[in-house]
Amino acid sequence: MKKTYIIVVNVIIMVTILIFVVQYSGYENRISYQRQVEHFKDTTVTMEQVTENYLQSEQRICDVWAQYINSSQMTMEEAADFIRALHVLNNTSAHLVDEDTLCGLSTRPKQGTADDYEVSYDRVDLLDNTDWIDEIGRSINITRAYTNPMNGEQSLAFCNRVTLYDPEKKTGNPCVLLRVIPISALEQKWVFPQIELANAGLSMIDADGDYILKGYSFKNSSFFEFYKSYNQTDPETSGELFGRITSSTGNIPMTDSHGQECILAFTPISATAGWTLLGLVPSKDLIVDNENWMLFGVVFVGLLVLFFFDLFYMLKLNKHLQISVREAESANKAKTEFLSTMSHDIRTPMNAIIGLTAITEKNLDDTELTAQNLRKISLAGNHLLTLINDILDISKVESGKLKLSPAAFSILETVENLESISQPMVKEKNIDFSLNIGRMEKEYLYTDQLRLNQIYINILSNAIKYTQPGGMVSVDLREEASDRPGCVRLTYVVSDTGIGMSPEFMSVMYQPFSRQIDSRVNSVVGTGLGLAITKQMVDLLGGTIECQSRQGEGTTFTIILDIPAADRQRDDMRFDQVDDSELKGMRILVAEDNDINWEIISYMLGTFGITTDRAENGKVCVDMISAGGGDAYDLIFMDVQMPEMNGLDATRAIRKLEDPVAASVPIVAMTADAFSENVTECLNAGMNGHIAKPIDEKLVIKEIRRIREEKRRS
Amino acid sequence: MKKLVCILLAVMMVTSLTACTVQIQEEAKAQGFTPRLDASAHGHIRIAGGYDNFEALEAEFDRFSDHYPNVELMYTKVDDYNNMIGTVLNGNDAPDIYVNYSWMYGRDQYKDAIEHAEDLADPSLGLDTDCIRSNIILKTDDKSLPMVPIFSNTYGMLVNNSLFEKEGLSVPKTYEELVSVCGSFRDKGYKNPMMGFSKEETTSLFTLVSYPFFCENVADDKDAVNKLNAMDPSAGEYMRPTLEKMNQFIKDGCVDLGECDTIENNYDAVILRFFEGDVPMMTCSGDTVSGTKKRESRSEAFIANPFEYSFVPIPMSKGGAVFLDMSNLQFSVNKDSSELDIANEFMRFLITPQELNEIAQNKGLMSPTKDLSFSSMYAAFGDVPESGIVSPEEIGLTDDALIQFRQAVFHVGTGDMTIDEAIAAYGSFSQ
Repeated sequence: MKKTYIIVVNVIIMVTILIFVVQYSGYENRISYQRQVEHFKDTTVTMEQVTENYLQSEQRICDVWAQYINSSQMTMEEAADFIRALHVLNNTSAHLVDEDTLCGLSTRPKQGTADDYEVSYDRVDLLDNTDWIDEIGRSINITRAYTNPMNGEQSLAFCNRVTLYDPEKKTGNPCVLLRVIPISALEQKWVFPQIELANAGLSMIDADGDYILKGYSFKNSSFFEFYKSYNQTDPETSGELFGRITSSTGNIPMTDSHGQECILAFTPISATAGWTLLGLVPSKDLIVDNENWMLFGVVFVGLLVLFFFDLFYMLKLNKHLQISVREAESANKAKTEFLSTMSHDIRTPMNAIIGLTAITEKNLDDTELTAQNLRKISLAGNHLLTLINDILDISKVESGKLKLSPAAFSILETVENLESISQPMVKEKNIDFSLNIGRMEKEYLYTDQLRLNQIYINILSNAIKYTQPGGMVSVDLREEASDRPGCVRLTYVVSDTGIGMSPEFMSVMYQPFSRQIDSRVNSVVGTGLGLAITKQMVDLLGGTIECQSRQGEGTTFTIILDIPAADRQRDDMRFDQVDDSELKGMRILVAEDNDINWEIISYMLGTFGITTDRAENGKVCVDMISAGGGDAYDLIFMDVQMPEMNGLDATRAIRKLEDPVAASVPIVAMTADAFSENVTECLNAGMNGHIAKPIDEKLVIKEIRRIREEKRRS
Repeated sequence: MKKLVCILLAVMMVTSLTACTVQIQEEAKAQGFTPRLDASAHGHIRIAGGYDNFEALEAEFDRFSDHYPNVELMYTKVDDYNNMIGTVLNGNDAPDIYVNYSWMYGRDQYKDAIEHAEDLADPSLGLDTDCIRSNIILKTDDKSLPMVPIFSNTYGMLVNNSLFEKEGLSVPKTYEELVSVCGSFRDKGYKNPMMGFSKEETTSLFTLVSYPFFCENVADDKDAVNKLNAMDPSAGEYMRPTLEKMNQFIKDGCVDLGECDTIENNYDAVILRFFEGDVPMMTCSGDTVSGTKKRESRSEAFIANPFEYSFVPIPMSKGGAVFLDMSNLQFSVNKDSSELDIANEFMRFLITPQELNEIAQNKGLMSPTKDLSFSSMYAAFGDVPESGIVSPEEIGLTDDALIQFRQAVFHVGTGDMTIDEAIAAYGSFSQ
């Protein structure tokens, strides 16, 4: 997939997510806005109830006054005095107006005078017709906002009809009692209580749309005119709308005089005839700020970071993949080279074995030649085995499955063994060999002796191998104090006057199949794995290996290892005497399908007086154990790859036998499957050990002894 | 990559153009009015007047809000305005700006309306009073300016232009042409070539026709003006040429007074009668003209047969028409206002040719500015030469003198009095 394509897909996903966030955010805002609109409508209804309560309470006061005046047959002056005495608030007043003359008395004096109480509504278009004033106590009788003729204040008045006694006419005169309240006093109370509705306005209109009370945000003298002035509508639609506004509770969107979108909430004032309370608020005031842009920003930045992180991670991954591909290619190439090398390295000794065998077959009568050829065949075979073992070792090391098997051993015996192994080669090549052993405070050490031997022998054999006859090889081994507690430091220095190594070769000499090519030495003398294995072993043992070499002059390898001292030293070390006679009489079942292998093992064990029976495959083996009972055999050597039933299945079947003795008979794998995973597989199947083919007699006997010892202990 | 660059460039271009457009708009706005106060200034400004409805002013509030969004303006109607404004100004509910009239000046009854007014001639206020025709600016003894005209008024006649065009006649420019046109219309079957309200003396047909002629006659005669203002009975003689001219007008058959009497009032009825479409010329004042637009939709006849109309001066003399230039509604600033700065700022905003023309256009009244050509309704008055413009304000005729004159012409016009009787009664007419 092209990088551009991935980026485009990522961008599309990001944009899609952002669009979703914006859309969802918008949806949430719309829902929230709808809730706020409903809330505003409900608040307007609440304000209507508050307003109604207020109007009713004010009307009630007026009603009480009117009832008392009517029941007391007061004159206008008496009624004015009566009300004047009841005034509590400074800003309210009452007017008593004769319906005929539209003149009367006020309870408060005219502005700028102290005793002028005369009031006239002659020029105020308010009381020309008083039909709208209902009987006392039946409804709220409130005027429109008008100019109080006594003080010029815009006011409202609650009204009642009263009959005042006219002393001149000696009859009752129909008059109107007005409880006058300045609108400014009302405006202070008549506001939405919520802070978020600070810009909301309230108005009260009559059935014709004319304002009774007019808020600042309302315009014109009629709400209907106001609506028509700033909102597109036709007469039919507006007629229906105004009918709805004056007869029901609801809300509609509208545009105000500033051209801004508003919500108009309306609800009838039930205590009045056809009046409606209107609430008007800019729509933007109802929009709850949900910090959606913050959310959008965070999501956007998050996605961007994720995008770039993924981009860079992808680029890095690609780089790693490219490296891996190169490494895989290199490994593949190495494998090909390895197989090529193996083919060469295996064919070479095989050529010797097959060729010499053929020569020997044709000259069986020539005893000397036969013996000489068998010795050469044996050497070639050993070389082949070394090669195979080295391959196994390097496989184990590289897969990390090489496990150390530490045990107490004598370093002096190791050195002696080293000398005895090297002597034939030294003598053969006529090399001046010196072995210098320093003072060993701790003779017995605790590590994997086999691996230590491998290290020392590999280095020494290389030195001898690459030193020309007449040359010199020296070995120095000394013990020093170690930084690690309980350890001694063994410094092993092998110097030769051999062919030396080029710097180029030295840079790759620890890689498998690296061999110094020199015409002076046979090219098949080594596997090319020795140094690689040695280096890995040294690393595994936590040591260091250094090399100084000059081409044509010689090489010096220095190996330093910190090895734990064994708990027991020579004085308290007890040597178990190995007595092969104790193996005599043992009965071992060999599950082996290959006749030659059966013949070899049978012969080998027979030399120790061990009785062997053969099972041709796993099934026969299981049957024999089942039939023979638990104590029929001391041990089973089990090949793995066999017809009918393989060794692993046979082992599992034996372990499941009902006879507990038979089910627990020791089983040791004897197989050419020699890799570490094969060993693990065998042990997991229930086997007790593993011996790799070709079999080493010593290892076989050692394994038998181990099994026998364990059996004895248990 | 190229695409990306193109998109970026396009976005930058659009952004730049938008920014430029906004800047141009802001510059244009700035040319009209430059705010002096901080745009965040807030307050509540109340303007009091006698109109039930003042939508044209509320439209100005909206435009002012573009500059000062936090300033709330509200118009309040004061009942019995002329009598109550003094009380209102002295009370707890005093407005910040209020309507005033030049005829209130000098009358004790209205002294509060003058005394509460700020001197708007103060140059520090920055009002562009030069844009207003000097004829209609109040001349005070102390050279102060307690009020500025927002609208002006005049007398004239509504002309059915469509009808003139249909009948192939021209709008008359002289008295002779007027008589001739009336005759032509009559010949073409139009029973009432010219009509007007004649039931009451207030803004009656007689006043509308003769007052400009009368003002022209006395304009240069200081003695006459002084005598007329002083209610001197001998000053009645100054009315004679006008009364004779009016009699001539009636005799010339331009109007049928019987038909005129069917018009119930000098506002709605006049307009709706004119909208019937069969009256080529209808005398009225500028006040009445302001109601025509709204009443178009109330006249079924006009809706069925709409026509073009305009307002022109009545040509009562050989020399042509006289443009009687009178102030109408004026604004004063309450000098005791708690929001004086904002109130002055609103006045500074309003007293500009653009806003005065705008509010006049919306109200349907004549603008007080020097240029009347912007209004198709009143453009004809702008064509009257300087010599044909008379102003009671300039002449110095008082409102009381006008009342005497109105009564005289009404009684003569309706035939209640002879010319001699009316002249003799000058100074004794009651309102």
